[in-house]
Amino acid sequence: MSDIIKFSVSDLNLFYGNFQALKNINMKIAKEKITAFIGPSGCGKSTFIKTVNRMNDLIEGVRITGEITMDGVDIYKDMDAISLRTRVGMVFQQPNPFPMSIYDNVAYGPRIHGIRKKNVLDEIVEKSLRQAAIWDEVKDKLKKSALAVSGGQQQRICIARTLAIEPEVILMDEPTSALDPISTLKIEDLATELKQFYTIIIVTHNMQQAGRISDKTAFFLNGEVIEYGETEQIFNKPRNKKTEDYITGRFG
Amino acid sequence: MEKRKRNDRKLKDGILQGLIYLSAILTVTVLAVIIGFILYKGLPGINFDFLTRQWDDRTTFVNVERKAALTEKNDAAYVASLGITLALDNENIVISHIDKDSPVKAALNMKNQAYVLKKKDIITKAGDVKIEKMTAEEAAAVLNEGMGVVRIKIIRPGGGIVPMLVSTIYIILLSLIIAAPVGISSAIFLNEYAKRGRILRLIRFAIQNLAGIPSIIYGLFGMLVFVQIFKMQYSVLAGSLTLSIMLLPTIISTTEEALREIPPAYREASFGLGSTKLQTIRRIILPGALPGILVAIILSIGRIVGESAALIWTAGTVAQIPGALVGSEAGAATLTTKMYWLIKESADLSTASSIAVVLLVLIIVLNIASKLITRVFLTKKGMN
Repeated sequence: MSDIIKFSVSDLNLFYGNFQALKNINMKIAKEKITAFIGPSGCGKSTFIKTVNRMNDLIEGVRITGEITMDGVDIYKDMDAISLRTRVGMVFQQPNPFPMSIYDNVAYGPRIHGIRKKNVLDEIVEKSLRQAAIWDEVKDKLKKSALAVSGGQQQRICIARTLAIEPEVILMDEPTSALDPISTLKIEDLATELKQFYTIIIVTHNMQQAGRISDKTAFFLNGEVIEYGETEQIFNKPRNKKTEDYITGRFG
Repeated sequence: MEKRKRNDRKLKDGILQGLIYLSAILTVTVLAVIIGFILYKGLPGINFDFLTRQWDDRTTFVNVERKAALTEKNDAAYVASLGITLALDNENIVISHIDKDSPVKAALNMKNQAYVLKKKDIITKAGDVKIEKMTAEEAAAVLNEGMGVVRIKIIRPGGGIVPMLVSTIYIILLSLIIAAPVGISSAIFLNEYAKRGRILRLIRFAIQNLAGIPSIIYGLFGMLVFVQIFKMQYSVLAGSLTLSIMLLPTIISTTEEALREIPPAYREASFGLGSTKLQTIRRIILPGALPGILVAIILSIGRIVGESAALIWTAGTVAQIPGALVGSEAGAATLTTKMYWLIKESADLSTASSIAVVLLVLIIVLNIASKLITRVFLTKKGMN
């Protein structure tokens, strides 16, 4: 394997109060690939993805032990959450555009990072919307509210909003679970398109989705990684009985 | 037997229904009677003078430079050198007309400040001549005599509510300038920063209870602390500070309510883009909560306008436009405190009712404003 390692996770444990949500996770995540996390509800896959950009910091009573490094730098010890999150963008389960215009949504990130010039912002907004494959649909209504377009378009606007801060990594937490099949396909195409430039980690309920777009897949169960490997291998020749049971639909 | 039971039940239902209807009618009637009574008593007293005049009659000496008489009128009550016409009104000599180029518009008081004479000002003395108990024509003759500067004693009739209107506005502005930033910041702290736990619950509990304290207790506190210990005397500032404390609980809880309405997804999205907490608050949370905050402010204005107990012993009942924030010049009766004072001191029900009409109109306007804002807010949310 000649993959470049983007993230290296070692002995990661996470507790919500007394409840242990993640147990001893060890994993290496490759650069500019799509890594999918699958598993039944409550298995810890969403919790895990949120440790990568430290969104769990915002929840009271969360305690984390172990180490995650990005490009060799410990993201919990040697980096602050704000600068980490500008390098690791996130797309959420529900499309969550801000109640403002499409333009202002995409320009939000650059603006908070100090870009004020109108022409620079215009460029970033157009580039991001193009990258998110939604430019043609919204170019005439950039000043309209982002809440006035369809759910699938909203989600792509959210992806554009994330791209606008030029992250290195995009985390997607079940990005298509609230969308119809056609919008879902568009987002999947978009993800495979984007992986040439970005490292993508995607959490999904939908196994076919993981099979279709990811290079690597990790199967989570009860806060543990049961199996992690090439997507093809996981889906065709799972080594673990539990993985096989889940993939063949025997539970979950 | 069966039939009687059924009839009994019908009767009971009928009586209960009647009682319910009666209660509703009673409530509406009482309201209508109150408003009707106030309008009946108060409306006749409301006119332009009532809304634009000072409260007390004010006596002033002014110097007026007489001009060479140019315009002559065939009117014995016309004072050509001053360009005014006099008339007798309630045994007083009043100015009934002022020419456009009249020198009384450039009148100076004893401190050499401009004191422009107005229609209906009463003239009681011209130079050393008392002109009370004269006819308009005799008075005009007296005033027309001589040349140069004449000193005139003027009584500007009061009976208006301007000082109370101005004082009310001052107290509204001052109270909000103090209470709104503190209250909104506290709400942000409680909702966005404070760690959930016993202390936060205690603070919330305290705020809820503060909201229920009778305003007279705030008044007592304000009198002891601001008026006496801080030696502010009865003043706009003492009154406003007292009211700010009284308003804080409402502003905090209403703002908190508005902040809680902001979907957590917006916060997540903002943090996910690498913004700091303050950036998120300033750009996402506050704009979203703005309508709620505006409603909190309007509710507060309503309470200030209606407040009397907390103000009587802190801002006083002197009808004057406050000339300072603290001290003897700063006493300021609001419309409501003046009403209280009127009924208590002079049993002047009709003037009190006229003020009540003004208050009613104010409150109705405020309520409509808050309804409109809420509706705009709701339609905006409907877009989600």
